[in-house]
Amino acid sequence: MSFKDALNSGRFVVTAEAGPPKGTDISKIVHEVEALKGKVDAVNVTDNQSAVMRISSTSFCKILIDMGIEPILQMTCRDRNRIGLQSDLLGASILGIRNVLCMTGDHPNAGDHKEAKPVYDIESVQLLGVIDALNNGKDMMGNDLQGSTDYLQGAVVTPEANPLEPQLMKFKKKVNVGAKFFQTQAVYNIDNFKSFMGHARKYPVHPVRKDAGYNGVKILAGLVLLKSAGMANFMNKFVPGIIVPQELIDELKAAGKEKALDTGIDIMASHIKQLKAENVCDGVHIMAIGAEDKVPAIMERAGLL
Amino acid sequence: MIITKRRDVKELQENIKDYKSFFLLGCSECATLCATGGEPEIKALKEELEKQGKEVTGSFVAKTGCQVLGTKVELKKSSKEALDKADCILVMSCGAGTQTSVELFEDKPVYPTNDSLFLGNMTRMQMFDERCSLCGECILDGTGGICPITACPKGLLNGPCGGTNEGKCEVSSEIDCAWVRIYNRLSKINRLKDMEQIVEPKNWASHRKPMNLNTREKASSGKDKPV
Ligand code: SF4
Ligand code: SF4
Repeated sequence: MSFKDALNSGRFVVTAEAGPPKGTDISKIVHEVEALKGKVDAVNVTDNQSAVMRISSTSFCKILIDMGIEPILQMTCRDRNRIGLQSDLLGASILGIRNVLCMTGDHPNAGDHKEAKPVYDIESVQLLGVIDALNNGKDMMGNDLQGSTDYLQGAVVTPEANPLEPQLMKFKKKVNVGAKFFQTQAVYNIDNFKSFMGHARKYPVHPVRKDAGYNGVKILAGLVLLKSAGMANFMNKFVPGIIVPQELIDELKAAGKEKALDTGIDIMASHIKQLKAENVCDGVHIMAIGAEDKVPAIMERAGLL
Repeated sequence: MIITKRRDVKELQENIKDYKSFFLLGCSECATLCATGGEPEIKALKEELEKQGKEVTGSFVAKTGCQVLGTKVELKKSSKEALDKADCILVMSCGAGTQTSVELFEDKPVYPTNDSLFLGNMTRMQMFDERCSLCGECILDGTGGICPITACPKGLLNGPCGGTNEGKCEVSSEIDCAWVRIYNRLSKINRLKDMEQIVEPKNWASHRKPMNLNTREKASSGKDKPV
């Protein structure tokens, strides 16, 4: 079943994430994602994540397709202008890529090429509109395409953004401009996430966007695997929009160095269980950050396998 | 105003090593307020050069260094001889002022002593920040008067990115998130509905380099009327 069909079937959907390496040796990452095959509904491929230059997202998506794994192409607006983005979207389409996650992209200042000129010719909301046009046989200037794309376009949102209101306003714009699914920034406090979902569900889907076979915007809760108390503290300090509650940090600390990862797996599994049991959202997006091989264990403990 | 700062001394040394005598040209507007091209800076540079055994044939503070015709007239009146004697002209204003001299002195080398940084607002004495990037098509009407093209490092047009962090920007904790500022301002003036509008991609063709503008009315003869 394709990712799109899985979302529309109404069952609890699971996606994971792979970050292509810097350099042409992909043996390690291929080995790691192998473990995801047949387990998750789709795998995101990051686009020069954190503005660190790596293998192109599109190329690695193609590798996943060849491995029998459905990819979600992450596409940021940092490195390409509107011509480059559209051209790459057409290119990804002919390679069989069907899902795109539209993002603004971390600023080059965060990465390893700080002197780069940031592009941001268009941004995430506008990119969603561009994909809508390409799906309808036009480029963003209204010129006819010889063959259109067939993308399921998604976007991101930060449920714990502070302040939340401007974030929600942008979320609403993304829905209105055609986002079909959302994968959120990492959440650890399920009560906070529930209250975000309360807001998010209030926005009705734009009537003209209710195309055939599509029944409402789908939201997958983003979950980042905690590997140590140090990592949790680091994210609290340096990653905007991620808040790891103190009791989880204490749990990881108490587990000690050897057991910390195992505890992290437990924490995520229990969050997934709760989200599914209470029907909070439509699925989860698991970011294992280099421990992709642990995803099946997480899913098993969450009762998904 | 145009914000300038003094270039690295080493670069200037490299530029001027082949020349012996100099004319120093400052500017009474922005460069004076930035303390890069007023009387005190001219005096300091003169002393610096003389210490190195160079000659300063003269100096002048242009009223408005980017005003080509006005500067030409002023210099002709005040400094013709000193200019003739100099091997090289050092311009202590912005890049635009420097290029005024390049136009006026076809056969003399002209070097800038300053880096030109941005169009700035002066907040206090010697403190400047950038609020407008001269994008060619102003969108302040939809953003509560705060410019996201300039104040947001990504120039986002439809609201904050995921990096917004308790009112600060992901790029630096020293920058306030432009979109939180816009949101707060719009809610204060009761116009949050402006932020609900989906802003279309910007037309960067209206910012194509080099820009120029001519608003002079054409005389019936087809020739330009004098201003
Ligand atoms: S939108 Fe911003 S950059 Fe453009 S003209 Fe207005 S203030 Fe200047
Ligand atoms: S945090 Fe705010 S100001 Fe900074 S890049 Fe994001 S939207 Fe722009």
